[in-house]
Parts: sequence; structure tokens; C-alpha cells
Amino acid sequence: MRRLFCACLSLWLPSAAAHESYSFDVSQFEKKPFEFNGYAELKAEQFTFDRRAALYQLGFFDQPPRDDFDRGTGSLQLEGLYRHGIATAHVLAYGSYTHDDTGNDRDTRFYEASVSVQPSSHATYDLGKKTLSWGKGYAWNPIGFVQRAKDPNDPELSREGFVIADGDFVRSFDSTLKTIALTPLVVPTTAGINTDFGTADHLNPAAKVYFLYADTDIDLMMLGAGAKSARYGVDFSRNLGTNLELHGEWAHITDAARPVVDSAGNITPVEASATSYLVGLRYLSDSLLTTILEYYYNGAGYSEGEMRTFSSVVHDAYDQYQATGNAMPLTKLRIALQPAMAKPNPGRRYLYLRLSQQEPFDILYFTPALTTIVNADDRSYSVAPELLYTGVTNLELRFRVFWLHGARLTDFGEKQNDRRVELRARYYF
Amino acid sequence: MSNRLHPRSFLWGLLPLLALLLATPARALDGNALLKQLDHNLEPESYEMYRKLINIEPDGKKKEYVLYTVKKGRDKMVALFLDPPSDKGRATLRLGDNMWLYIPNVGKPLRITSLQSVVGGVFNNADILALDYSVEYNVDKVEETGSSYILSLKARTAAVAYDRLKVWVDKATVLPVTIEAYAASGLLIKALHFSDIKDFGGGIKRPSVMETDSPLYKGYKSVMLYSSLRARSFPDEVFTLNYLPRAGELR
Repeated sequence: MRRLFCACLSLWLPSAAAHESYSFDVSQFEKKPFEFNGYAELKAEQFTFDRRAALYQLGFFDQPPRDDFDRGTGSLQLEGLYRHGIATAHVLAYGSYTHDDTGNDRDTRFYEASVSVQPSSHATYDLGKKTLSWGKGYAWNPIGFVQRAKDPNDPELSREGFVIADGDFVRSFDSTLKTIALTPLVVPTTAGINTDFGTADHLNPAAKVYFLYADTDIDLMMLGAGAKSARYGVDFSRNLGTNLELHGEWAHITDAARPVVDSAGNITPVEASATSYLVGLRYLSDSLLTTILEYYYNGAGYSEGEMRTFSSVVHDAYDQYQATGNAMPLTKLRIALQPAMAKPNPGRRYLYLRLSQQEPFDILYFTPALTTIVNADDRSYSVAPELLYTGVTNLELRFRVFWLHGARLTDFGEKQNDRRVELRARYYF
Repeated sequence: MSNRLHPRSFLWGLLPLLALLLATPARALDGNALLKQLDHNLEPESYEMYRKLINIEPDGKKKEYVLYTVKKGRDKMVALFLDPPSDKGRATLRLGDNMWLYIPNVGKPLRITSLQSVVGGVFNNADILALDYSVEYNVDKVEETGSSYILSLKARTAAVAYDRLKVWVDKATVLPVTIEAYAASGLLIKALHFSDIKDFGGGIKRPSVMETDSPLYKGYKSVMLYSSLRARSFPDEVFTLNYLPRAGELR
């Protein structure tokens, strides 16, 4: 009887598959005045420290020595939207709870909280906290004058915005010049607003002009003198074929200031105009391998010699601390130089290469990738293999390992860790 | 004997000429006109519509996406992801051969290429942001079978995603039945199968289901369902990078 049932089932199944029907109820996707979405994320990280590295010695000299460091982070990002007539209120809130070997930490903040008014398709006005994203570079944006720097190890991460007031005016044409758009804005700094943008009591006017000319995106941008020195720049992006895109940025910063330490341990602020630029490409091969390659010259960054001197001075100060207990030189260096030197890429010339293979071996939603960042001055580098799986609806799983290589007194050779392992699970709702 | 032609003889004399005329088509088929008619039957020149994309794996596992799409004229198009939440807010813009993808987290539109896929699976960006066939292709050859025309299409420029298309067109409705897409090397990249003709109103009657398979993705299938397709006009400024983050306001 069971055999007969199985035979009947096997006869019925192919026929059922052949007549598969699909349904699409569009009413559940109607536009609503209120929208809400976000994600919850769990991240586990393990760092393998390099106890002889300058940035380890500077960051941890006053703590018990450790070779490993574990950190777990739970975070929540919530986004809300409310529409009323031509106005839209938008909020992006972020909160995280971190537990690591040194204790617990909480962080809650609004990344964005703004109101937009759109009286016509030609014009939009925004007021409030908003994240701007200027520039065409994937890993770096030398022309990102009004935004926080992105992390080249995670360029697609949300970033906190600044409080701004802006207008956006667009015109389209049926000619070689297809679009022109003007975006003037102010980033006011007071004792309580945009305190981390720069010094208080400045209006900080800025503007961007965008052209789509001859199938090429071109932006011109400037930030007037105020909380920061004046700066201006240009970027472009263009497709050279169905599988190749080329982009670039150029920025000039007047009076860029940075602290520099000499071999005697004296710290002096150096102020000079700096020119930075980036050129890059994105290429998709027939086998769906995406290559992103960028070269970044950071005119405001530290030269190879300056970085070597910094590391050498930190080592000397650390040896002195170990021998005498005198923490003063290290404390001074930590206050003056750690914010600049602990940035992901404080040097002058970098290469970025990312290779990501879409769905290899016919495995849908699986993307392995390999990313490397090379300091082109001292040849030190980081390499990071990555596995990404998005096959379960709304769930994203990512596993990455970072290995940092470099001789003593080089950029990546003096980072606080030699290795970092990261597992991230993110659920969208 | 009279020189006057007898009417019966006249008719007999015309017969070979009549037979010759009947054996020759009244006019050669204009492939490009046929392709334009097919485009016209599929979609109005400017419209809005909702689409559901379903990626189906060999084991039957499915992943679904819902898109809101607007198009204007020959080469302006925006597609906004409404679902699932992991992709909500992503928007793609096409202006001729230019394509951009806006990801809310990244906060700026990035240029993308037509052969990439923003959803994974068999559909790529060129399928999601497909323009009228007659905009991107010239008809090289027209063949006729019992109930179909078979059009052989060649891309007008190298910027078009597929170098050649072979289109089976239903003679009665002038709507596509099957389209095969080939690379310049002659490799079959994918096949699109149209079915379930539906009346969308406003004189739009077209297939509401498009199934796609590919020898490059054996056992996998992607399906596109069409809904709420209607003619609507938009200002040109809607199709700009500046408008892309606000594409949801169009609905």
C-alpha cells in the first residue's frame, strides 16, 4: 500500500511543480505615512595583540599586559520616517552594548534626525542632523569635507551625521549635459552643536555642484574657512563599459594642521596646505569576480620618516616607563598623537584592493572576498579574507579575519594587533 | 476573327500573374517596426509598476524581493526595493547606459555596471532596469513559424548587457513568448519565458509572469511578477542622483 502511495506521489509531484503558480498581493506594500525598520546585530571579535607594537604600548601601558583581547557587541539600529504633505521627518538611531576584557560600555546616539521639505521635484530643503556622503572613492574620500571619515575596513557602515541646513536644487536637460544640481549648506558649530566638527561659533558654509556631463558624474565642492580651514575639491566617476567603472577625487586643504613628534620627543603642530587625491576602478569579470582597486595619496598624512620617528619615540618612552615608572612621556604622546596615529590609515600613500566573488560554485547569496590595504611607502599591509552569506531572508552572516604584516617601525607593523577575527550576525526587520 | 480579347481568355491570362502575387508576401516584414510594436504592447512610454522577484533554488527554497519601478521615455528608469527589510530603501537609477545603486547605509549612489546583480540569482541589473528592446537592439533577421515571428536582435552598442537576443513573438498578440540572451561569444546566458497574459487596464494587456533560467545557474530559476502597471508621467528631475534617496516619495 505504502509503495503504491509513493508511486502515486512520484507521478503527481512533477505535475504539481510544472503548474506552480505565484501570488503577488501588492496592497501590503502601499505607501504609509509612517515607516519603521532597522536591524539587530551581534558581533564577536578576538584580537591578538602585538605587545612590542607602538600603538599597543601607547594604548595599554597602564593596564595589565595581555596577548589577547575578546570583545562582544550587541547593537540595534532603528529608522523611522513620518510623512505629512510635502514634509518628511526622518530619524536614524543607534545603540550598542559592548562587553570586553576591560569591562562594559554603552553607546546610544542619533545618527540622523532631520526634517525635509520638498515643494517640487526641483528643490528640497533639509534641517537637522544628517549624514552627507561626498566623494566617489570606495575606501577613502579625500573630499569628504562635511562628513566623518569612513573606516576603510568597513566602508559601508552607517556613520553619524552633523547638524546642517541645506537646499538641493536640480535641473535636467535633454542634451550632453543631462543634470546639474546645486547643494548649498551650513554646518553651524556652537558650544553645544557639532562640537566634534571643529571650533565653536562658526557657520561653516559649504557647497557642492553636480553635473552629469557626457555620461560622467562630476562634482565640485568647497568648505569655507571657519571651524576648519578652507578646502575645495573635485571628483568624477564614469563607466568605461558594461563591466568597468573609473573614479577619482582631488582635494586641496589650506592650512592642514597635524601634530608631529621629533626624535627628541618634542611635539609640535605643523600647519601646511595639503593636496590629496584618489584614483580607482571597479571591474566585473565574466566569472562575476568584482575587483575594486584604489590608490590614495593623503597629502595631510604622515610621511614614512614621521611615522618611523613616532614609533621609535613611543618605544623609547615605553622602555623608560618600564625602567623608571615615569608615565609622563607616554601620557603626553597619548594625548597629542594617539587620535591621529590610531586612525586606520594615518600615512601618506595607500593601495586598496578588494576581490569579491559573487556566488561561486552556484552557491546563491554566498560572497567570499579578500581585501588588502598596503602602505605604499613602507610596504606594510593588512590582508582580510571574508565570507558573507545572505541566503536566509533578512539575515546576514559575515566572518572576517584580519592579518597585519610589517617590519618594526612600519605602519601596519606598529598597529596594536597582529590579527583580528570577527563574526557578525545582523537581522533586519 | 475579331482582335477583341474574349473576357474568359483575359481571366485565364491573369491567373499566372495572380498566382505569382499570392506566392509573394504583400510586403517584407519590417523587424524593427515589429519590435517597436512589441515594446508598445508591453509597456506605455512612461509608467509606474510593482514587481515581485522570486529566486528559486534547486531544493525549492525561495527568496523574494518587491520593487516599485517608474520609467519615463526611452531611457530613464528608477527601481526602488520595498521588501525584504534587508534591502528596503535600495534604489537603482538608469539613464541610458548609466546605472547607479543607492544603498541607505552607504548614503550615496554608486555607479554600477549592467551585468552586476543587486539581488543575486539569475536576474542582473540589466534585467531589472531593462529599457525598451528597440532602444537597445536592432533587428537583424525575421523568421516566421506557424504562430510566431522569430526576431534575431543585435545590440546597438557595446554598452548593452547582452550582445544578441532571439525573440519568439506571438503573431496574434505581438507579445514575447520566449527570449534567449546570448553573449558576444555566442554563449547562451539566459532564457526568459513570458506567460499569464493579464489586462492591467488602460489598454495594457501583457504577460504578468516572466520566468528566467540560465545554463550558468543550472537548476536555479528566477521569476518576475508584474502588478499595478499603469501609465503615469514624471518630471525629468525624478531621474537624477539627487532624487534617488527620495524615490519612495513618488508612490
